[in-house]
Amino acid sequence: MLKTICYKEWVKTRWYFLLSTLLLAAFTGYCLLNVSRIVEFKGAVHLWQVMLERDAVFIDLLAYLPVLAGLLMAVFQFIPEMQQSRLKLTLHLPYPHYRMIAAMLLYGTSMLCVTYLVSLGMIGIRFDTVVARELFARVMLTALPWYMAGLAAYFLTAWVCLEPTWKRRILDMLVGMGVLRIFFLAQAPEAYNAFLPWLALYTLLLSLLGMLSVYRFKTGEQD
Amino acid sequence: MTDNIIECRNLTHYYGKRLIYENLSFGVPRGRILGLLGKNGTGKTTTINILSGYLKPRSGACHIFGENIQGMAPRTRQNIGLLIEGHIQYTFMSIAQIEKFYAPFYPRWNRAAYYELMEKLHVAPGQRISRMSCGQRSQVALGLILAQNPDLLVLDDFSLGLDPGYRRLFIEYLREYAKAENKTVFLTSHIIQDMEQLIDDCIMLDYGKILLQKPVGELLDTVRQYTFTMTAAGPLPDDERFYHPSVIRDRGELFSFLPEAEVRGILDAQGVPYANLENCRVNLEDAFIGLTGKY
Repeated sequence: MLKTICYKEWVKTRWYFLLSTLLLAAFTGYCLLNVSRIVEFKGAVHLWQVMLERDAVFIDLLAYLPVLAGLLMAVFQFIPEMQQSRLKLTLHLPYPHYRMIAAMLLYGTSMLCVTYLVSLGMIGIRFDTVVARELFARVMLTALPWYMAGLAAYFLTAWVCLEPTWKRRILDMLVGMGVLRIFFLAQAPEAYNAFLPWLALYTLLLSLLGMLSVYRFKTGEQD
Repeated sequence: MTDNIIECRNLTHYYGKRLIYENLSFGVPRGRILGLLGKNGTGKTTTINILSGYLKPRSGACHIFGENIQGMAPRTRQNIGLLIEGHIQYTFMSIAQIEKFYAPFYPRWNRAAYYELMEKLHVAPGQRISRMSCGQRSQVALGLILAQNPDLLVLDDFSLGLDPGYRRLFIEYLREYAKAENKTVFLTSHIIQDMEQLIDDCIMLDYGKILLQKPVGELLDTVRQYTFTMTAAGPLPDDERFYHPSVIRDRGELFSFLPEAEVRGILDAQGVPYANLENCRVNLEDAFIGLTGKY
């Protein structure tokens, strides 16, 4: 059934998925173009120097884009479900309710991972060829919380979209913004290194919030 | 004992502090088409939502196929076709995509039944549902239910937004299918004339309670509209067996299940100044309005 559920989600989100993957790749390419320009005109030594002396990672432009991509993925996936209470159709299918929502979230997470991996892959390939392992790791570890924030934004937006009442939806939005703030507390490169495993666990736990909204939907909460 | 597919006992529900109904009990027998009739706000959609498991009543319980709907197994839902008010479907899909999506969920899926109905619409398989008219969307929703081939169909306000042609098409197709396949149907609609051609039994909901549950034939054979002329200013008849007595200018009207002789006896006993008492058979819509009132 997972294949069938993913088919519906694909029909809903395929154009957004292709567009967001292309756009994020384009922005990533733009950042990496700067890196290439520095290497070409001033040499790799200068690039290393700037990275070490000024704490530059050259991909700061990407910081909030994974969040935007995650948020919009949830909007494109779950708003059509909530329009005209279409979620009733989904929950009426002969498949366990929470497993159905878990499958939908798994689809969205997988698609986002593809989008993010394209971007991270481009960053990895480019930096791997021009900087030392330590600096390569520094760029990747700096970017990782941004991409985790993207997944968190996806889970939080799904939670808000699936919530059946507006009052609670607004409250959830405020809580969600506060939760996302945690991913952007420190601007310095590698600021989250020690905290990364916890951040990953915390992001995964956010996926359970969507179930809470569905539970409220099933008990008949409405405006 | 009656073989009821749906069995609801002592349902009580409130929205906030507003009581929708209290201790509502009813059953839907196997192989019957039962219509839930009621004015706006009497709890028709609330009942459908409770039956679909999307609303937990304040108290009471509903069983479908003997299973409590609050803990219904997913497999049981294979056997229940649900039409949501307004023929809601996945409008982001085309008619071919939606069939491909639903089919694996239902072991008795009848693809031919779906496409037979779609052929009548003269639309391409790639046509998106969002670009169809309300009438065409209703046929897609009906086609999907027919293909699902469930033993129970629950239809919420199936006539909403349909023009007379599509309403007729929907009714004829549904009735023929339900009778030929011995399906049980529980439905609501705002348009009572449609119901008369479709349903075997009806439940009339009044604010907070069930007014009656009867086969439509029995209802129409027994309920009568009484009209009379008021010869002077006087009291309106007051008896619990009279439904909504009213007078406009000097023309009086009431509905009752009593024979004329008994009605005449009550009017006389209460000193109502009347003349020209007449009774007539009514259709389902008039019976509904007569028994539930115009307001």
